[in-house]
Amino acid sequence: MNNLNPLPPCADYEFEIVELGEGSLAPEKARTVRAHLESCARCRNWLSGFAEVDARLAAALPRHVLSADFASRLHARLGSESRRTPRNDLRTAADEEYRRTLEALRLGARRNAILAGLAAGVVAIGGLVLAPNLLPDAGSLLASLTAQQRLIGCGALGGVIALAGLAWSTMLGQLPTLRSFG
Amino acid sequence: MDAGIEELLAAGRHDRAFDLVVPAFQDRVFRLAYSILRDRAAAEDAAQETFVRVWKALPGFDGRAALGTWIYAITRNTCLMELRRRRPTVSFDDPDSAEASHAAASIATGPAEDPEHDNLLRLLDTLPRNQQEAVRLFYLEDRSYEAVAEQLGMPLGTVKNLLHRARKRLMELAQPAEVKAA
Repeated sequence: MNNLNPLPPCADYEFEIVELGEGSLAPEKARTVRAHLESCARCRNWLSGFAEVDARLAAALPRHVLSADFASRLHARLGSESRRTPRNDLRTAADEEYRRTLEALRLGARRNAILAGLAAGVVAIGGLVLAPNLLPDAGSLLASLTAQQRLIGCGALGGVIALAGLAWSTMLGQLPTLRSFG
Repeated sequence: MDAGIEELLAAGRHDRAFDLVVPAFQDRVFRLAYSILRDRAAAEDAAQETFVRVWKALPGFDGRAALGTWIYAITRNTCLMELRRRRPTVSFDDPDSAEASHAAASIATGPAEDPEHDNLLRLLDTLPRNQQEAVRLFYLEDRSYEAVAEQLGMPLGTVKNLLHRARKRLMELAQPAEVKAA
């Protein structure tokens, strides 16, 4: 490696000399760098050394190629592999968790709705049963109603209680539960 | 990305897309793996492992990165895992780590694959790992800066700088070593 020169090139031209040697320098700059090289022995020697390193690396580095059976071995291996990746496993677990959460919410909402309905019914019936004793004047009024009218009144009262419960829970931002009224 | 592969991926035809991915990328994946592992058999094994991972993960590929960028990242990770597996106590995360560089050199199955092994290649082994990889890949890819940048996941300017520093350092190292040898 006789051309190698430990002296560095002129700093302003160092990168451009390499690009000139590789043929990637723009024509305008290439003219400038060539003119500099003509007048600078140090840069000429450095470029010569750089070119030698480049050529020797290109010649010495092994250029292996893949085995001819690479693709067939790959496909044989894929035949025994499962496509479930850790990422897919995570996604499946997250989907499953989401589904379970939705199901739990749905069950909870249904249970709360049933409990709220039962509570409304108990309150309405209780009110009707106790009303004649608590409100004597109302007792005569109720006694004058037919069974059908009492049933309609009971339903209306239950509906009002249920609507009040819904309004209350909407105000609290949650589904109606017995605790909402606690 | 190959337009055909892109269309197949968009259509969810992952197996058909994979059939096109392998021939399109196998040589570059192998060369990238070789530049990191410096052993032909290990590089081929890493290429196989890379494509198995690509095949598994292809349904989750979202196209945010170019397909090549994604595949080369998987290749680099596969190779780094292989290096860690061989020498788990050495950190390869620091690309300029001299320890990593020497460890990577020492764990390769041996530099003398060519009996006429150029002394320059032994000097190359003393450079920081990222410079070694860039140099090997640059010559394997027929001196394409763009290919090296894409495969190593680095900006073009960084690759040019790495290669420049590496070859300049080799020039500095080569002369005293060869004078001493003479």
